[in-house]
Amino acid sequence: MTALFGWIVAAPDIPNDVGGKYVAGAYIVFVVLLLIYVAIMGMKLARIERGLREVAELAEARKDEAAVAETARAEVKS
Amino acid sequence: MTPSRTAFAAILAKDLRAELRTLQSLPAMALFAVTSFVIFRFGLNRTSLSGSLAAGVLWATLLFAAVLGINRLFVAEREEGGFDAIRLAPIDRSVLFTAKVTALIVYLGALELIAVPIFALFFLNSAASLPPLVLVLVLADIGLAATGTLISSMAVNSRARDLLVPLVLLPLVVPLMIAATAATEPLMLLGGVSYHRFGTWLMVLGLYDLIFALLGYAVFDFLLED
Amino acid sequence: MYGKGLRPLSIATVVMFAISLSLVFFYAPIEADQGFLQKIFYLHVPLAIVSLCGFVVGGIFAILHLRRDEPRWDAYSYVAIHISVIFAVGGLITGSIWAKGSWGHWWVWNEPTLVSFLIVFLLYATYYPFRYAIEDRQRQARYASVFAIAAGAFVPLNFLAVRMSESLVHPRVFATAGGGLPGSMMLVFLCSIVSMALLWTTLVKFELSAKSAQGQLKRLRRALDAPTGPPTSRIAPEVQ
Repeated sequence: MTALFGWIVAAPDIPNDVGGKYVAGAYIVFVVLLLIYVAIMGMKLARIERGLREVAELAEARKDEAAVAETARAEVKS
Repeated sequence: MTPSRTAFAAILAKDLRAELRTLQSLPAMALFAVTSFVIFRFGLNRTSLSGSLAAGVLWATLLFAAVLGINRLFVAEREEGGFDAIRLAPIDRSVLFTAKVTALIVYLGALELIAVPIFALFFLNSAASLPPLVLVLVLADIGLAATGTLISSMAVNSRARDLLVPLVLLPLVVPLMIAATAATEPLMLLGGVSYHRFGTWLMVLGLYDLIFALLGYAVFDFLLED
Repeated sequence: MYGKGLRPLSIATVVMFAISLSLVFFYAPIEADQGFLQKIFYLHVPLAIVSLCGFVVGGIFAILHLRRDEPRWDAYSYVAIHISVIFAVGGLITGSIWAKGSWGHWWVWNEPTLVSFLIVFLLYATYYPFRYAIEDRQRQARYASVFAIAAGAFVPLNFLAVRMSESLVHPRVFATAGGGLPGSMMLVFLCSIVSMALLWTTLVKFELSAKSAQGQLKRLRRALDAPTGPPTSRIAPEVQ
């Protein structure tokens, strides 16, 4: 870190290690907010996935029923 | 199609007549303002005010008293089917907006006619600030009326009617309050009336009035759709 | 439909952020007065600017909603405002951290951008209870659009008023030494704004895509006469 600041001529009013903590804090807040958003969207996605699974099972069950009904009707005819 | 001027006059006259007859909002607003002054006297522990403190107390009180009136602005329309009447009538619907804004300006003017002299009586050393203050009051009233009418017309159709107006209106009128208090503060300085940046702040007030009056007029039609 | 450009957009966002963060920490010169602390500038100001532009964009979508009377514009307006509110929270917190570092207080009243930003945030925070209070969905959408338009017009006015109310005597917290930005800082600043704007756009698209997926699922459920899923929000507009 000191290598980066070696070329400064005059020392700033706010010492750099103090400043560094605040900068880190600010960037951490940014990242955390972003991650909270991702987490919430993740939960939404999970709910959508669950719903899709339910609907897929329902559609397949209906298809099976329709197939069974078809074969039953075919047998009755023959 | 009824010309807008006739419709405007009719709606305005109906509103003012109703208010005069029932006196629902005006006495409450005025009493609230005067009582607030008393509360401020004790809360701030001062018997005289000047400069920014005077401007702040005056404008905060006027604003909160105005909210009382704004809350009740469309209640009659809502309860007695006034909105339907406007929808069916062969008039330009934005006329309701202009008529209501004008009515509200009249109410605010009446409020200030009572509250401001009492404020001067309670707290100010001289009445020299009052004549230029009238200019500030007029411009602020226009902006407050425009924004207040807009918000009130939406709030009246909602569930938390009495909460919605203070909630949404207060942040919206912050620039108006900034300009009004900034223009008023130099008028009430202990050393005497000063017109520091008076014209600039009046222009900011005028800008606010223009923007929100035009905006309200433009969108009001969409608000009345069923 | 909303997820279509999402991949290239998010890649562009990541790349741009990598570039601007590298520039911030390895290229941008250390500022004379505030030292390393000043680097928050490249995070806080873009958050604030993009958030404000987002609010104005939300207002524009609202105008389009009223004029075209298509419900999807209300959804666009809602999401634009929603994401901008999140960015605004980030802007306020980072601004507060910066104030604490510079002046020792977690809040300062003499920095006009921070103050007007607070007022704008307070206004848009009322957007949610406002929508919630109106039960009829169509009316809710229309009124929300009026709100978004009024609030969008409010943003520049508010900045003007707050900036003017600052006495010229008070030093501003965030003004860099010497006034204008030197060229190298300006480059980094512009890169930071671009990456933040890309992030905003990515998140808006992401959110709209998720809403659209929810809408399609609801459509599927209705087509199959399936039991309806968990109740949806009373305020978030649906996307079909």
